[in-house]
Amino acid sequence: MTEPAATATAPGDSAVDRIGLALLATRTLVESPIDAVFGLHPGDRALVKAGEAVGRGQPLLEHYRDPRTIVVPTEGAEEGGGAPGDRWVEPPGHKSPEGEQTSSGELLFRSGGKWRIAGGDRPDVIEAPFAGVVSDVRPGSGITFHTTASGILGRTVLAGPTWGRLQIVTDADGELRAQHVDVGAAGSIIVAGARIDAEALTRARAVGIRGVVVAALGIKEQRDFLASERRGRAAVHGLPPFGILVLEGAARRAIPSPIMDMFRALEGGMAAIVGSPAALIVEDAADHLPRPAADLVRVRSGPLAGAEGTWAGLAGPRRFPAGVVLEAAFVRFGGRPPVAIPIGDLERFA
Amino acid sequence: MTTVPRALLAIDAGSATTSVALLGKPGSTWRLLGALSAPAGTPADVLAEILATRLVGADLALADFVGVTPVGVSDLPRLEAVSRPPRTLAVLGASRRAVGLLEAVAARTPWRVRAASPESHDPREMTELALRPDVAAVLVGAGDPPGPDERGWLDDLAGLVGAVARRRPDLQVVLAGPIGARDGWAEGFGGPIEGAGERVSLAPALGLRSGPDEPLREILERLLPDTADSRHLSVRTLLSLADALDRRLELLDVGIDGGLRAMASPGVGEQGPVAVAVRTAQAALVPPEIDDATVDSVLAWTTGSLDRHRMGDRLMDLRAQPWADASGEGARLRLAAARAALRRLAASSQDIGAMASPDLTIIAGGAFAVAPPRAVALAIADTIRRPGATQLAIDHARLLGPIGSIDDPDERRDLIADLADDLLAPIGSLLVVGSVPTTRRSAARVGRLTLDGDRHGRHDLAGGEVSFIELSPGDTALATLEFRDAVRIGHRARRVAVPVSGGVAGLAVDLRDVPLRLPDRRDRRRAALAAWGELAWPGDER
Repeated sequence: MTEPAATATAPGDSAVDRIGLALLATRTLVESPIDAVFGLHPGDRALVKAGEAVGRGQPLLEHYRDPRTIVVPTEGAEEGGGAPGDRWVEPPGHKSPEGEQTSSGELLFRSGGKWRIAGGDRPDVIEAPFAGVVSDVRPGSGITFHTTASGILGRTVLAGPTWGRLQIVTDADGELRAQHVDVGAAGSIIVAGARIDAEALTRARAVGIRGVVVAALGIKEQRDFLASERRGRAAVHGLPPFGILVLEGAARRAIPSPIMDMFRALEGGMAAIVGSPAALIVEDAADHLPRPAADLVRVRSGPLAGAEGTWAGLAGPRRFPAGVVLEAAFVRFGGRPPVAIPIGDLERFA
Repeated sequence: MTTVPRALLAIDAGSATTSVALLGKPGSTWRLLGALSAPAGTPADVLAEILATRLVGADLALADFVGVTPVGVSDLPRLEAVSRPPRTLAVLGASRRAVGLLEAVAARTPWRVRAASPESHDPREMTELALRPDVAAVLVGAGDPPGPDERGWLDDLAGLVGAVARRRPDLQVVLAGPIGARDGWAEGFGGPIEGAGERVSLAPALGLRSGPDEPLREILERLLPDTADSRHLSVRTLLSLADALDRRLELLDVGIDGGLRAMASPGVGEQGPVAVAVRTAQAALVPPEIDDATVDSVLAWTTGSLDRHRMGDRLMDLRAQPWADASGEGARLRLAAARAALRRLAASSQDIGAMASPDLTIIAGGAFAVAPPRAVALAIADTIRRPGATQLAIDHARLLGPIGSIDDPDERRDLIADLADDLLAPIGSLLVVGSVPTTRRSAARVGRLTLDGDRHGRHDLAGGEVSFIELSPGDTALATLEFRDAVRIGHRARRVAVPVSGGVAGLAVDLRDVPLRLPDRRDRRRAALAAWGELAWPGDER
């Protein structure tokens, strides 16, 4: 008598099942090397040159807190060069016709015998959040900064750049409340779990925390934070560096376990948050960052959002709620039987 | 000696998903053997291999005959189309009015538009906009002669754009009107620059009122480098399809990064088929920047209890992962966003909307790819309010783009003629009745519909309502509508007979207002939407 179980193909064993894993959206966790871009607005002054090696904390650029356009007669502006994008420095004894206090700026364009210049007051110095080499400087556009460090990629960054020691303050699916923001974390970049509210962000900034890494940040919290940031930046004393790295999106989800494992491995070390690409930069970490198992899959959305399991093969087209027929895959959660989930709701890690 | 292929791959690499279709010629005609899609970035070879493996498993003889094997499938000839995120166009004018005119034209192109004028931005901000790395081109325009509101700032604007063009050698510049003749342009742009002739295009000046915009639209579309663009190629396929079927066709396509509306008519006599098309980034399923207006436009089509912030969160996630959360509540959200996008598409293509109802409306794009057929039909009925009858079908295997990559129109037409039955999945027919008398708009019967050969007899029609009548795929019938008062279905009449075709959704008969007026009160609007939604989304499958 033939034993059916011995000849049947188990889910995940066939050739189609094996290549089927490639149908899932692949999420790249770590990128190295990194070419980070720091934006230069018209009027900002680059303090570095292409090819220059820069250490952490070294000034990168000067950004005007209160930028504006000033008008200067041509003869008063062309002493330092005279092409759009060049720096303009107010000549000694020169009085701006509009009585502006700006002493330097960037030539924008010339028209009617006058230069329009982007200048402003109260420049803030933006410092390099990690060591690297300047590969390109484009006035009015940005500074490209190359590093061989590793970047743990997120979805978006608000404010920044910033740097500090990495500190985990909640679990992967925790939520940081304002009353739990501890002054002991001052100077750190904290890992704040699944979600954080605007009040906790305000308090984090107030106690001197340098940055927050969080899985999700809602659109309201993003707007509130950015409005607060604008007000703070415009204030007389400005603000210390602060940035938020959002790993997932807007709806509440836990931090994926492979990323949390990396944070645990990196806790206590220096890290930086940059906006382009949206990443947490860690130096000298490439060798000891834990990597996820090849068959680990995560449910990105739907009723099981946030759950992680192992790939168990393609399930073919299946009917799901709302009468929708979708290509599905089997995922095994723990020791339970495999569950069919739309492949669009799944992601794997690379 | 050349071997004529008996199978080929049609690949549509979209911004949200990649779709691969396997076409084969088992007899004298080409047939669709299978199609599969996965999140963008999935290698097409993987999708092809899975399709080939399934074909071999289902019908080994057929796979052998057309020469498809899992190992060799990636070597098959390919028809490829791609969709890429739209490029950004900075639109600058010397006044708010001028920039509004330019923006209205640019909005009817695949460019993502960012507009600025001295009335809304200072020169530093306008320079910053034009210098942004994501801005690929600048459109600056003025009237000839310039309007009174433009004169004060026109030289400065010309100088600003000239200086930016000098600073960014990669930037394309379109000068609409006498910008290049201004002193400011000479001061800003300076002396001759290498390659300046290739990247500075001249366009007609602004008119006092909005007029035909084709010249400027053509210039802007020419600046787009990608001839393999899926929506561009879809219009070519639509032309061939109109010719092959000898029908007037409309195509409605909504994807994550833009939309397309096109109307094609078959050739008459010596003249070949003709098409009018509007591709626009404004009809993206979810715009990249989600503001209150975007959130409200989607909320207006929802029946749930999400507040603005939660809806904003959902839209942000949909934008970031458009392939995810396609079932359950996610499917409803997607269709609500699709309705908002269709509204924007209809607003950008009013010239096409004013044309007579097409014989067949083809629905394409990721927004509708996996939605239930009745929900798709209802979404079209809600937003494309054109009285008349049209058959609805969906480009389920996403073949329109790839087939358009065939340059030879005859070859393309032959393939289309073979594939016409497989290419489009019939949803059903849509009958939109306009000018239903106001006094009769209630649940009371205002007319009746009779389908030829329908054993269920006559169907009562209620004013202000939409209803679905079963009509199976492949069935055709003559629908006779009779009303007490004259209504409009293409023309005004009390009794109208129109041919209709069946589909998975059946026949949708819509007696609601044209254009659709939803109740202002939120609870009443939701109640109305929920009642209509019950027809498309069975209650137990929410």
